[in-house]
Amino acid sequence: MADWIPLGDRAIRFARPDRSARALVHAIRAWPGVVDVVVARHDVAAYFAGAPVAERDAWSARIAALADAPDDPAPVRDVALRAIYDGPDLAHVAAATGLGADAVCALHAAATYRVETLGFAPGFAYLAGLPAALELPRRTTPRPRVPAGSIAIAGGHTAVYPFDSPGGWHLIGRVVGAALFGPEGALLQLGDRVRFERAP
Amino acid sequence: MSLTVVRALGLVTIQDLGRPGRMHEAVPPGGALVRDRLIAANRGVHNPDDAPAIEVIGRLVVRAGRPLEVATDTTAPRTLAAGDELTVASEPHRVAYLAIRGGIAAPLVLGGRGALLSAGLGGLIRAGQVLASARLAQVAPPRGVPGPPLPATMTTATAAADDAPIRVIAGPDPAAFAPGALDLLRASTYRILPTSDRVGTRLDGPALPRSEAPEVSRPMVLGAIEVPRDGQPIVLGPEHPTTGGYPIIAVVASADLGRLFSIRPGGAVRFGA
Repeated sequence: MADWIPLGDRAIRFARPDRSARALVHAIRAWPGVVDVVVARHDVAAYFAGAPVAERDAWSARIAALADAPDDPAPVRDVALRAIYDGPDLAHVAAATGLGADAVCALHAAATYRVETLGFAPGFAYLAGLPAALELPRRTTPRPRVPAGSIAIAGGHTAVYPFDSPGGWHLIGRVVGAALFGPEGALLQLGDRVRFERAP
Repeated sequence: MSLTVVRALGLVTIQDLGRPGRMHEAVPPGGALVRDRLIAANRGVHNPDDAPAIEVIGRLVVRAGRPLEVATDTTAPRTLAAGDELTVASEPHRVAYLAIRGGIAAPLVLGGRGALLSAGLGGLIRAGQVLASARLAQVAPPRGVPGPPLPATMTTATAAADDAPIRVIAGPDPAAFAPGALDLLRASTYRILPTSDRVGTRLDGPALPRSEAPEVSRPMVLGAIEVPRDGQPIVLGPEHPTTGGYPIIAVVASADLGRLFSIRPGGAVRFGA
């Protein structure tokens, strides 16, 4: 039986089962009383409209069953983002990785990424699949303001900032011609395959 | 059926009961800072509980363009004549709500009509703006007949009750704190800082000691008491990020959120089991 802990009186948290984020969201939203799901890198939270009604063992059994949750039947989407690699940290990243700026951009644009989680800000997608040669720790001092659309890298992830916000990732470029969040919601959804295409 | 904004000071926005169901897109639940106060104002003019109203964290002055029925969460419904001015101030609480008969007209975006500043939806209400009625159907008998009862927390929100400890549920991150941190939270008095907003209510008081456990980005929840390295707790509000790296020492009981978020900056808060 999988264990969970209360996250207040209207949510529970448990270790992320080894399933795709999309499969988890799909399965958990079908639980009785659930209105929201957050899948983070190592944890999942289920949010209820009122107090969770079932007994401890019932939730444990449901969590255990997530290991066999079927994949979300909707096909995986492919999203291409047009990128201009002119970020203020490009020179630093080039130096810190020993690759040179051109190689940094070429590597970043050649990879295919997967939306692993969303968090931090509405529509902020953590894109897994950053080439290992580009992995760097976050900046020592976060910036108070990162412009919306900035392409950033930190650890094993890349991301695009949907809004002007504070941020501690390395800025290597910007997305043009697309808003990461708008009246239709988040542009990038859990499970999407994402590529960056260099704008001429 | 319209109001013109004469003056708006502070954080004045249109709010309803939020946008549940999109946290997996990192969209926070949003909605009124104190849901029961929004509902009380709406019931005063026989609106549906989730009708959009004006949330005033600060001060708002409006002028009626035509005769208009209005109510706030703390004052009886009244009819404004054309040209009448009305001032709504959040003092002596942190927040007040102004409802107009039929609800405030605002576009439905992502399942809600309220402002969600962190998502760029809606915005602050400014002087000169015109607020129109959405002409929603009434849900209660006409004037003179008692409407639905007020939410329980409104009818008990006396000065004495305001001083009662805010109940919390311990955890979920006890390993991230030094021994005794939770006891310290429950034994101390904290003050609401004026830097508080709809994202977080910042508290000033005894620092809650952390352990050496590393920070891990985890799911967050409305009412979570998160603790940065400086030990000064922050209670997450309706626009909270859906994930965050600060550990959570306890979560405010959902029934006490409205009482906590009603305490004005500078006011004292104590937490209890």
